[in-house]
Amino acid sequence: MSKFRNLAVVAAVVMSAGIAPALAQDVGAGKKLFKKCVACHAVGPDARNKVGPQLNDLFGRSAGSIEKFKYSKAMKAAAEKGLVWTDDTVAELITKPRKFIKGTKMAFGGLKKEKDRNNIIAYLKTFSTGSETADAAKTKTDDQPEKAATTVTAAPSSRNLPIPQHGVFHLGRKALPEEVNAWDIDIRADGAGLPPGRGTVADGEPLFAENCASCHGDFGEGVDRWPVLAGGHDTLKEDRPVKTIGSYWPYLSTVFDYVRRAMPFGDARSLSDDDVYALTAYLLYVNDIVTDEEFELSRDNFSDIRLPNEANFTADTRKDEPHYAKNSEACMSDCKPGPVKVIMRARVLDVTPEGDDGEGAGPVD
Amino acid sequence: MNNRKKPETEISNPARRKLLAGGLAASGAAAALAIGGRQAAAAAPDPAITKIQDWNRYLGDGVDERPYGFPSEHEKEVVRRSVSWLTADPKSSVNFTPLHELDGIITPNGLCFERHHGGIADIDPAQHRLMINGMVDTPLVFTMEDLKRFPRENRVYFLECAANSGMEWRGAQLNGCQYTHGMVHNVMYTGVPLKHILNEAGIKSGGKWILPEGADASGMTRSIPLEKALDDCLVAFKMNGEALRPEQGYPVRLVVPGWEGNMWVKWLRRIEIGDQPWQMREETSKYTDLMEDGKARRFTWTMDVKSVITNPSPQAPITHGKGQTVVTGVAWSGHGKIKRVDVSIDGGRNWETARLDGPSLSKSLHRFYHDFNWDGSELLLQSRAIDEAGNIQPTKNELRAARGQNSIYHNNGIQTWHVKADGSAENVEVS
Repeated sequence: MSKFRNLAVVAAVVMSAGIAPALAQDVGAGKKLFKKCVACHAVGPDARNKVGPQLNDLFGRSAGSIEKFKYSKAMKAAAEKGLVWTDDTVAELITKPRKFIKGTKMAFGGLKKEKDRNNIIAYLKTFSTGSETADAAKTKTDDQPEKAATTVTAAPSSRNLPIPQHGVFHLGRKALPEEVNAWDIDIRADGAGLPPGRGTVADGEPLFAENCASCHGDFGEGVDRWPVLAGGHDTLKEDRPVKTIGSYWPYLSTVFDYVRRAMPFGDARSLSDDDVYALTAYLLYVNDIVTDEEFELSRDNFSDIRLPNEANFTADTRKDEPHYAKNSEACMSDCKPGPVKVIMRARVLDVTPEGDDGEGAGPVD
Repeated sequence: MNNRKKPETEISNPARRKLLAGGLAASGAAAALAIGGRQAAAAAPDPAITKIQDWNRYLGDGVDERPYGFPSEHEKEVVRRSVSWLTADPKSSVNFTPLHELDGIITPNGLCFERHHGGIADIDPAQHRLMINGMVDTPLVFTMEDLKRFPRENRVYFLECAANSGMEWRGAQLNGCQYTHGMVHNVMYTGVPLKHILNEAGIKSGGKWILPEGADASGMTRSIPLEKALDDCLVAFKMNGEALRPEQGYPVRLVVPGWEGNMWVKWLRRIEIGDQPWQMREETSKYTDLMEDGKARRFTWTMDVKSVITNPSPQAPITHGKGQTVVTGVAWSGHGKIKRVDVSIDGGRNWETARLDGPSLSKSLHRFYHDFNWDGSELLLQSRAIDEAGNIQPTKNELRAARGQNSIYHNNGIQTWHVKADGSAENVEVS
């Protein structure tokens, strides 16, 4: 069964699904209009990039995301800002491409009539497997449409849809860019993933007092068993090392990532990106890594800052320790010179770990 | 229906702690009397036999009294316990498996130790999604229903917190194998090999690491090399045959066999593929091992060969007096199967090979027994495991010599229990 057949029903489906703009859409008219575009754009089973990128699966896709296609700087910039192709953004683009994306390579004058734009969009949607329109269209093209309609009560979104083409088992569905953006908030040591934003030490200080100080203390010194965040310099070789952002943590990105994903404790994801930049700047300040209260941290200067202990992390070398040396035999008799003596006894559960050993969460963390 | 009293699960007050510790030994002695100790001959008929017992005369509860069963009320002390002074807050804390109350190799679901960083996420499985993104051909979203359509496997693996025995680096501290070794459990998981799920999205060339992420309030994340992900990791939704318990990651968790428990991300909602590790909080500021020279090892993933005698132990004294005695315990290694366990009763001077019994599975707990005739003299009990890779469990002093005392994690040193003539036992260190 061709996945593109029976296109005429799309318009009706679009209407009933409530996705459609005010005007009715005509896939057939859209197909005709698309002749204006085929010099540069291809759609369908064998579509390749031409002067412009191929337009299958356009809806829901991030701008500038077709691999191997050379986009203009302007389109790449728009993509970086998070432009995603939807009914609205495509409509805006094809109204006047060079107005919507200044500097785009797309040399098309534009479609003045809203009706034409809607028809083109309706036509393009028949090539977008991720779009509800296309899925709905395909559901409707099922050989037993009535049965489909009556068996969807349990899971209307998943029953009787065509089997996706990806992978081996064809399970799951394509993640939409908006969905990936909502969850993919991790920041890597090289700064990859940092969001736009900025904040100064001075901005961070009141934020810290309000959101963080009840556990971590006003200056990151830690309250009760909660983590100490500042100080502890030159203590790592001592009997009771104090492991803080300044004395121990290798990368600043970890501070930003963790604060943004998990702090404040009990109200995660409540801080704005600017707040997180400001708090991170404040934590640099209380750790004496920056000294100017007006210091502003942003995506641009983030990766310039290195934490002092970065070089002191090494690989796992346990297997080289003498007790794991190969070919050793386990001794079975007279392994110690004389009778064995007790040299230390459990202090019967009244050992309260010292409050100053650095990791509020104590040795079990 | 369940009218069992909530047992004391926290040891917080020092005075109480002493009392409890003393009480353990005392109750052990009392039990020895009550049970009769050594019974060469009965002086009088045993009323447990001669008296008709209530349960023998009257009808018991019908089948539906316990639609989901629970242990006998006589087992109410068999619970996970915590040590309140270890952590700042119970939402980011740990409790311990009562190893001394268990036998065989499987840990019952309700007794598997808990470790959360943002409390137990309460998730409606219908609202749970697993996303695969990053360096893949097609970023994907799976529902729980989707995950259950992949081919499944059943595997038994131990899960050990990297900080298990971490309180013992500076010397003997906690009296009870529940506290010294109870951050381990052993479960049969049902799940989908992670490679099936990753391949479904198509890993792009250059992808070398994965970042699993939890849906809980800590947004738990760890970097794992792709090689391990494609080797033996599972995306599991059942433990010991039933749905994961909420505290173990319901509805779905990652299983990373043989590697530290923190990497087994619970409430798994996303896996990103990348070309380098992320350096998240739990793999930089935590779960790195500080050495004596001030340098810290990172990415110390594998749990090394380890064992502990669970009975007798401080919470489980010998109550029957001298004579035939079962010494038993568990052994495990992240490097594979356990090849052999030796037991010493003289503090590691002389050893005898113990008897392994039950299934011997790679990266799973193994059960060992040492059956012997106790002459009633004091014992310095130790066990020493050897894995199939040839690794011999080191002594605590060997570990300290190599690493110092501040590394917190990966303490797999040999444990000593001092068993006294009265059968009570204490956590000690020996020469």
